[in-house]
Amino acid sequence: MEIDRADGRNPNQLRPLSCSRGVLNRAHGSASWAQGSTQVLAAVYGPKAGTKKNENPEKASVEVIWKPKTGQIGKQEKEYEMVLKRTLQSICILTIHPNTTTSVIVQVVHDDGALLPCAINASCAALVDAGIPLKHLAVAICCCLADSGLVMLDPTKLEEEKMKAFVYLVLPNSILSVLPEESSSVKGEQMEQGLITSVTHGVMSVDDYLHCLERGRAATSKMSDFLRRNLQPQLSSDSSKAG
Amino acid sequence: MEQRLANAWRMTVNEKKFIESALVSGLRVDGRNLYDYRKLSINFGKEDGSAEVHLGQTRVMGIATSQLVQPYRDRPNEGTLSIFTEFSPMADPSFEPGRPGEFAVELGRVIDRGLRESRAVDTESLCVLAGKLVWAIRIDLHILDNGGNLVDAANVAALAALSTFRRPECSLGGENGQEVIVHPPEAREPLPLIIHHLPIAVTFAFFSNESTLVVDPTHQEEAVMAGRMTATLNTNGDICAIQKAGGEGVPQSVIMHCLRIAATKAADITVKIRDTVEAYNTERALRKIKRHSAPVALDVSGTVPNVRKNQVKSEDQREVSGSVGTQVEKLKPMNERKNSDQSKDIEGKVVTKSLEQGGTNSKDGNPRSFIGGPSS
Repeated sequence: MEIDRADGRNPNQLRPLSCSRGVLNRAHGSASWAQGSTQVLAAVYGPKAGTKKNENPEKASVEVIWKPKTGQIGKQEKEYEMVLKRTLQSICILTIHPNTTTSVIVQVVHDDGALLPCAINASCAALVDAGIPLKHLAVAICCCLADSGLVMLDPTKLEEEKMKAFVYLVLPNSILSVLPEESSSVKGEQMEQGLITSVTHGVMSVDDYLHCLERGRAATSKMSDFLRRNLQPQLSSDSSKAG
Repeated sequence: MEQRLANAWRMTVNEKKFIESALVSGLRVDGRNLYDYRKLSINFGKEDGSAEVHLGQTRVMGIATSQLVQPYRDRPNEGTLSIFTEFSPMADPSFEPGRPGEFAVELGRVIDRGLRESRAVDTESLCVLAGKLVWAIRIDLHILDNGGNLVDAANVAALAALSTFRRPECSLGGENGQEVIVHPPEAREPLPLIIHHLPIAVTFAFFSNESTLVVDPTHQEEAVMAGRMTATLNTNGDICAIQKAGGEGVPQSVIMHCLRIAATKAADITVKIRDTVEAYNTERALRKIKRHSAPVALDVSGTVPNVRKNQVKSEDQREVSGSVGTQVEKLKPMNERKNSDQSKDIEGKVVTKSLEQGGTNSKDGNPRSFIGGPSS
């Protein structure tokens, strides 16, 4: 192992994940997701009547509000809102409740690298907590590329700043198949692991990018196991969130 | 815009009548007594100056940051304190993003008056170069969940954030002592703010039946109430601010009664804040000790940080090399606090454990490996 990471992980190791759902009382769905020190709180308010002026009223729309920890809302926050909105729109089933708006509010609690993937994971868990119908879950990961060509997963803020380039990848969660063998010949188009979102910072070659993609895919299968386990219905009583 | 109003939560007539008639008999919907506060808990984040307060179902996060700026011209020797309140749309479906509404502004002003005009934070110690550079402390209050009584919760969050905030130390240098050098936290230990007293806000809600008043209303009680009053006072017996903006007229005797109640409540809350801040400071000091030994350990062998990390995480996480850590249902700050409590009790045993594992480090001198002890 050529590079020593500051916290002693090896390049393929993610930081400890933790997810808690139902943390807020007024919101219809909420989730707090932490990857190491990075922590994000997401809240979802379920379908509200009406859509904004420039949205298509034939479909449901998703509205994202990103709240940074401190300071005013700038271009960076607007960019995160846009990426998050497009990602969530591709996983929600938009044809079920046309002419409604689902609001997702993201609050950054602490930023220590891989902020956008953390927010995407939190929003996905919050959507599940709110009961919004989804096609599949989205699992997000950050891969960074060192000068030597080594790909590392889930960098901290210091690592992100030092690296040559990094990329945020969002993939659908892995399929839990009841059939014993791989059924890749099924007619469903979404059966293969398509890439939902990819945001890159810095310069990387095509080979490096594909390498990152491969590593990210491998990691997301483990993350989606974690997500699936965590999203099992809680047996403790959940009071109804009417009103 | 109208669509949002249509989706706002409205209270039904039945709920309203129920709350009012229950209050006439001295009963509150959540079972509290009329003058009882809900459960208050304060958690701190990973950085200095970030606190999250839970008051029953209300949740507020307070973050304190600092910046060097030019002072105001009429006060060249004093630093500044500014409070920004963010009514996040996640707290309540009727909160809209963008410009703060009138309630958000009022809340910010009440907390601001309580802190600034009572001189709770010593601003003269924030001066670096008179007339040129002073520290400006900024407090961001994020309302995360509106369960009622946001003023009190936000006030506690602001005080908790200020009490644990540390500003970087800076010194004057250069040819004629006009250059300011700001020392990073690794070089010199950051300094806490000087806080003279803690102004605590206590909110009362009045109802149409004249003699009914409650302390710490929930958001359902707020929807039914006819008037409210917030009294900010400290344990020295000073009244820092009183805010009663309109609403039902209240006789003098009731106001005096409220102030007396507020004095007792303020004492309780002050004790709670002081205790949690002290616990946080103790834990922080323990963490600092662990951090100072790290650069030394790395010179000798790179394995010690790994070992320590595994010890910290061993409680309820298992790290599988190659992929991913497993789930932890509690959030991180709770985890760290648990570790530090254990370290206070079993320091003797822990020391010997680290001496065994950090065996190769012993050539640096025994005091170093002792310092590495409390990490587990």
